[in-house]
Amino acid sequence: MSYQVTIEPTGDVIEVEEGQTILDAALRQGVWLPFACGHGTCATCKCQVLEGDVDIGDASPFALMDMERDEGKILACCAKPESDLVIEADIDVDDDFAGHPVQDFNAEVIAITNLSPTIKGIRFRLDREMAFQAGQYVNINVPGVEGSRAFSIANPPSQAGELELHVRLVPGGAATGWLHQELAVGDSLAVSGPYGQFFTRKSDSKDVIFIAGGSGLSSPQAMLLELLEEGDTRQMYLFQGARNVSELYNRELFEQLAAEHDNFHYIPALNAPEAGDNWQGFTGFVHDAVKAHFNGKFEGHKAYLCGPPPMIDAAITTLMQGRLFERDIHMERFFTKADGASDQPRSALFRKI
Amino acid sequence: MAAKKLNLKDKYKLLTRDLDWEFSYEDRKKAFPYEDFEGIKINDWSKWEDPFRLTMDAYWKYQAEKEKKLYAIFDASSQHNGHLNVSDPRYINAIKLFLTGISPLEYQAYQGFAHVGRQFGGVGARVACQMQSIDELRHVQTQVHAMSQYNKYFDGFHDWTHMHDRVWYLSVPKSFFDDARTSGPFEFLVAISFSFEYVLTNLVFVPFMSGAAHNGDMATVTFGFSAQSDEARHMTLGLEVIKFLLEQDEGNVAIVQKWIDKWFWRGCRLLSIVGMMMDYMLPNKVMSWKEAWEVYFEEAGGALFKDLARYGIRMPQYADIVEKEKEHVSHQAWWTFYTYGHAAGFHTWIPTDAELDWLSEKYPDTFDKYYRPRWELAKKLESEGKRIYNNALPQLCNTCQIPMLFTEMSEPGQIAYRVSEYKGDKYHFCSDGCQHIFEEEPEKYVQSWLPAHQIYMGNCGGPDVPDILRDYYHFNLGADNLDMKGSPDEQRWNEWKKQG
Repeated sequence: MSYQVTIEPTGDVIEVEEGQTILDAALRQGVWLPFACGHGTCATCKCQVLEGDVDIGDASPFALMDMERDEGKILACCAKPESDLVIEADIDVDDDFAGHPVQDFNAEVIAITNLSPTIKGIRFRLDREMAFQAGQYVNINVPGVEGSRAFSIANPPSQAGELELHVRLVPGGAATGWLHQELAVGDSLAVSGPYGQFFTRKSDSKDVIFIAGGSGLSSPQAMLLELLEEGDTRQMYLFQGARNVSELYNRELFEQLAAEHDNFHYIPALNAPEAGDNWQGFTGFVHDAVKAHFNGKFEGHKAYLCGPPPMIDAAITTLMQGRLFERDIHMERFFTKADGASDQPRSALFRKI
Repeated sequence: MAAKKLNLKDKYKLLTRDLDWEFSYEDRKKAFPYEDFEGIKINDWSKWEDPFRLTMDAYWKYQAEKEKKLYAIFDASSQHNGHLNVSDPRYINAIKLFLTGISPLEYQAYQGFAHVGRQFGGVGARVACQMQSIDELRHVQTQVHAMSQYNKYFDGFHDWTHMHDRVWYLSVPKSFFDDARTSGPFEFLVAISFSFEYVLTNLVFVPFMSGAAHNGDMATVTFGFSAQSDEARHMTLGLEVIKFLLEQDEGNVAIVQKWIDKWFWRGCRLLSIVGMMMDYMLPNKVMSWKEAWEVYFEEAGGALFKDLARYGIRMPQYADIVEKEKEHVSHQAWWTFYTYGHAAGFHTWIPTDAELDWLSEKYPDTFDKYYRPRWELAKKLESEGKRIYNNALPQLCNTCQIPMLFTEMSEPGQIAYRVSEYKGDKYHFCSDGCQHIFEEEPEKYVQSWLPAHQIYMGNCGGPDVPDILRDYYHFNLGADNLDMKGSPDEQRWNEWKKQG
């Protein structure tokens, strides 16, 4: 049994298990809330309940005073939902966030492509247009699988009536297994979206570095296609990491775009090229390709990272060592069944990282 | 259309934070004269992210409510003879040490934050420090009020501000804060907001609050919760300071690392008193000092320093030594207080047999081997009427001002001595950490006011130790000091308990 908690003003939605605190669920699902002590004494994580019922838990009477309890305030680190909830937290909405409402759609499969040995490209037609920002994701309900699965949208928002998703087959993953083996053209699925705080910060004019790993190419692809469509003139760099040439999908698309646009630069990196790949490009992990390309100095850029957690972590370290900091690093981590829940204690130093 | 409600960020900016003005005819550099000399470079104050957003009107509303709650509990505690509910009168001695050693630091924090709250060019940092300053004033007041109840019934509470400025072991916390406050404004924040409030504060609060709770001291527990609800702002300020400095300029990284190294070590030395309180002074134990260190520094701090590595910051220097010290410091410190129990403003004692067993269990690798035999000897001597009192004045470390009581970690039977020479004089240290701090800033630490040295120099009255304790420290000899056994505190307690 779990409850849906919507966090305003960003509209992020998290799933909170029975008996789990809102803060714990949020942090595990990559949604940052202000917090410090984590056990109900400091009040850093104070939120306002807008809708729903909640057990306020073991909050100290000094951190959450009677008058605040009467006003519907809670401490996210102790509070456990007793119904679906809407809460308001002290978090900022990015000025570039459009806040498109989340809606339910019916999506019909119109094409399935083998992008690589492990990744399929699935194209859907939506029953109506979806307003979204490049970089955001949708949730899909896969028949026979409990809960929904998140997939980033790979097409630009100008193609509002369609969805292009890149689905990597997760070993042992029930949902991706079904999508790879059972789904056929003509099938329909229930989709909801758009979700997420990963989108292009267009109000910032700095040059852009995209770092993509595996099927994490999807969001950067949508973001790049949109910027190029709009005739944006800033310098844009796409670093795409893959194991070998067969996994390096959509390579022709980006090589062609690089040829057509002076301000777009495509740098693929393979960490384990096959002998037959005859690979002439960068060999090594994608974050090392980024480091080599910029000589380890990143000031004056915006970076967007999308892919598996170890790649993201390595890329963040590289960028920060080159003096690009949290406010200019945006990311979408692709957690899968294989990653499991991270139980390592985390510090409160970073908000999103 | 109704006017849009301001979000908290704008409200904070408009109603509290940005009560700032442009300097049209004065030189801004002259208005903030302390901002440069430490070598820190601030390129853009607008990148400061407010660590909390509490508008002034909300601040007063919340703090007033907290006070109301807190004083209701103090009153209830005094009306119901709360002093009789503590687990054991020995517990009160931890409170005496807290009042004389730690509460005055809250006052120093108030002064320190008021000072730096004036000295930063960025308005966000100034306002955050000013609010913390007011919090700290509240903390010292509420601590004094929480403990004033005990002043009516127990010895040793009567002249704590006077003692704080003079007594040999109280110069340890006092000099720690004096050192921070006489640093530049950025070092002060790295020292207090980051190294102390963020990295080490749980190690103070856990024993203090949980210790009070386990030992029936409701006034102190309640004070602790009330202060902890302010503490979050102080911790988030510490985090923002460190991020801001590290992001502002690459040149700041090495300076900040040096400060983290220094203040981590100084903080650890200061906490040896807390370790001793946890392991020896709380009759009902919370957790051992070693366990507290593992949970609150090694795990939580480990995660923090893993994140800080991305800025090029490494673990504090000597963290490897501190990891070994968790097995030893509390035992070495309490043994020293026990043997100097005639010169302390609180009572000392030999742990009970059950407590000795608890220590053996909590410190399987060190207690039986190095420390239990001392207590067995002390027990034997006490039973023969020869309780140990060490009459020589202890040599003090020139940096942390703690008596030279710590041993080499590689050889726990050997006291660690370090000596440096500066301008023809010799200076003594308890450790590599303290020696290193001195050698980085010798001009500062040659000025250390070392209580034992001052006694020998004739600056503390005398001529004999009892004269100094009585006339210069204001101890009531025979009441405040000596062993718990046979003390007036113990006699009164037994009387009260007999009356039921």
